[in-house]
Amino acid sequence: MTSRSLIAALTSAALLVSPAPAAAQSPAAAQPTSPAPAQGAPPAEGNAGAPDATAAAPDAASPAAEAPPPAPQKVDPGVFDKALKDYFDGKPRDAAGPLHAWLQAAPKTDENYAWGQYFLARSLIDLGLTHAGASYLARIARERSNPNALPRALDTLKALTDRPHDEVMIEEQVFGALDLGFLPEDTGAYAHYQQGLVDLRVGNERWANTHFAKLSETTAEASHAKFALLVTRLKQVKEPSDEIIADFLALSEDEKLTREARNEAALAVARLRYERKDFQGALEAYDRVKLPELDPGRASLYLEEAWTRYKLGELRASLGILTTLDAPSFRDEFMPDKYLLRALIYRDLCHYLPAKRAAKELTRRFADSLEAVRNREDLTQDVRLRRAANAHGSTQRAARFLETLELEGERLGRYAGSFGDRLFSHLTKLYDLSRAEAVRVHDARLAEAVRQEADTLLRAAEQVRLMEYEVGLKLYERVKKGARIVAPEDEQILSPTQTAYRFDGEYWNDELRSYRVRIDSRCIEETP
Amino acid sequence: MRYALLILLLLTPGLVRAQAEALENPGAVSAIQERRFRMHHELLLGVGVLPANAYYKGLVGTVGYTYHFSDTFGWQVGRGTYSYNLQTSLRRQLERDFNTSPNAAAFQDQVQWMVGSDLIWSPLYGKMAFLNESVLHIEAFLLGGGTVVKLDRDGGFKPAVNVGLGLRLFTGKTLSLRLDVTNNTVFTGPTRVIQVPLIQFGTAFNFGATE
Repeated sequence: MTSRSLIAALTSAALLVSPAPAAAQSPAAAQPTSPAPAQGAPPAEGNAGAPDATAAAPDAASPAAEAPPPAPQKVDPGVFDKALKDYFDGKPRDAAGPLHAWLQAAPKTDENYAWGQYFLARSLIDLGLTHAGASYLARIARERSNPNALPRALDTLKALTDRPHDEVMIEEQVFGALDLGFLPEDTGAYAHYQQGLVDLRVGNERWANTHFAKLSETTAEASHAKFALLVTRLKQVKEPSDEIIADFLALSEDEKLTREARNEAALAVARLRYERKDFQGALEAYDRVKLPELDPGRASLYLEEAWTRYKLGELRASLGILTTLDAPSFRDEFMPDKYLLRALIYRDLCHYLPAKRAAKELTRRFADSLEAVRNREDLTQDVRLRRAANAHGSTQRAARFLETLELEGERLGRYAGSFGDRLFSHLTKLYDLSRAEAVRVHDARLAEAVRQEADTLLRAAEQVRLMEYEVGLKLYERVKKGARIVAPEDEQILSPTQTAYRFDGEYWNDELRSYRVRIDSRCIEETP
Repeated sequence: MRYALLILLLLTPGLVRAQAEALENPGAVSAIQERRFRMHHELLLGVGVLPANAYYKGLVGTVGYTYHFSDTFGWQVGRGTYSYNLQTSLRRQLERDFNTSPNAAAFQDQVQWMVGSDLIWSPLYGKMAFLNESVLHIEAFLLGGGTVVKLDRDGGFKPAVNVGLGLRLFTGKTLSLRLDVTNNTVFTGPTRVIQVPLIQFGTAFNFGATE
């Protein structure tokens, strides 16, 4: 584990950790005060009801986008009431089309205009079209035409950040740019946190602090802000101080944070202690990571713990954890270090053939990827590297968002009949443009991420070659006269409170952290 | 000598293979876990049935206390069982159609209640996956001991030997469900014994177990 990888891991953890959004307000409580727009209200011109397709890629615009928009049709104002009734009757499918038609016809100044957008958004979200819903909510937040609808729209947007979402549209353009004076406390805290985070990302810690200082100590956002600040400070110092570690430790026990966030803080403590060669302390920090019952956990956690135990000389325990990493849950994980560590342990126990085999396993398993690197091929086309790059950090978020857009784009086809031509064609265009932008963002992140994964792979392959050479020498080393086998280490006997389940290849999730290997050392002692 | 050589020759491939396997995949892997459920003072409340006698069926209620010396060995210090007996249609028919006396010797083997004590040995402790969603912990045990049985007759106190087996499903640190299938061999006379099997389902409360 290098300092670089440590900082990268912590940074991605900080970006990953975001406060749990409050439950979305019940839409039933959000009935508009005025039942319907005034009779005979003039229809709005142009694409009044159309949300912006933010940062859309111009090359992805469909030919239909070039055609002039059809003239808005006059809609009976009663349509809004009926659509609202359909929504509250649990028929979002019936409500969406009429709401869109009403929005197209109503003027933006209509007192129910924002409510129309809000309920159209809710209908779309209920139908599984979260991105389309979010785009209408973002529009309410930017226009701020109705102070009653705005907090509800923001709460719903905040709830959507739990799923794959358009980070630019929601976090930067909405929460990152909100005027914070009028917001309710909860939403305001989240907006302060997001704005502080944006400042931190661009290196303005002082500005970030002004936002974070406004967070009440009792909020989860305050704890998340502390985490983000600590990670930023970690980037700036060469040697992390005891104070930073103590702060991370305090966060790992902070009940205001989600379990995932507390685990991230505990992992940060473990990594920092590992870097300072406090391996026992690192192990204690790993023990603080609490997983939900039967949750397999994360491969990186196990690998790091295995390295720590190896450094502590607990070779059998380390080998046990490597057994865990062979579980089906982690089959697709990209962990070249695993083979290296296994080879090191076998070498230390003087099992040279298995050591050589473990070392060779890395080059065998990643042969295609190594070949691609050597041939300077496009690494984003390599399946293993691509999967590894997509497995964490911002690339993972971009990949998930892209996946969501594709899924929702397909889902949209199901509603072609019930939405009507205008809403359907509008949403089709929205999804096409958003998808094109998501592909661009993902590709950019992927290109950088696969390069880092390839670096990791090459470093491991290099070490493995050295290991093979070393083991090859050991294999044919002459045993001197008088040499004798090292006395076997005292086996850790089972305490009366423990149970042993012999492993026969069947993995149980509740055992993943408990594997131990009984293996004798074959090393020999040479008498002088 | 020739036979010994021949046997050695036949065994060689197997030995070589075993050695090669040990060389390639050295070590044995076990999952070592803290035992999740441990018993100490156990209070049992159970209900069950005495199903075997043709002339009556007993519905029983049991209270028992068990002290567990270790995870595998315990002493059911005392258990008391009361039986509420229901006459079978056979007995009613015998009395009605054949004028059999209600005090006939065959009818006097009805168990009224019994008390006893047993030793418990639990060699099996394991876990099962339930629908791949949760893990259930179970324990199987054998028990054996002595009983004093009160039969429905004058001077009906009779000694008995009790043996059986049971299954325990742990639902928490302090609660487990227990199924006992036991048989009391009751010595009703110098040369006569009767068998009183019991099937019982109970809830066991566990106190004082260390984590």
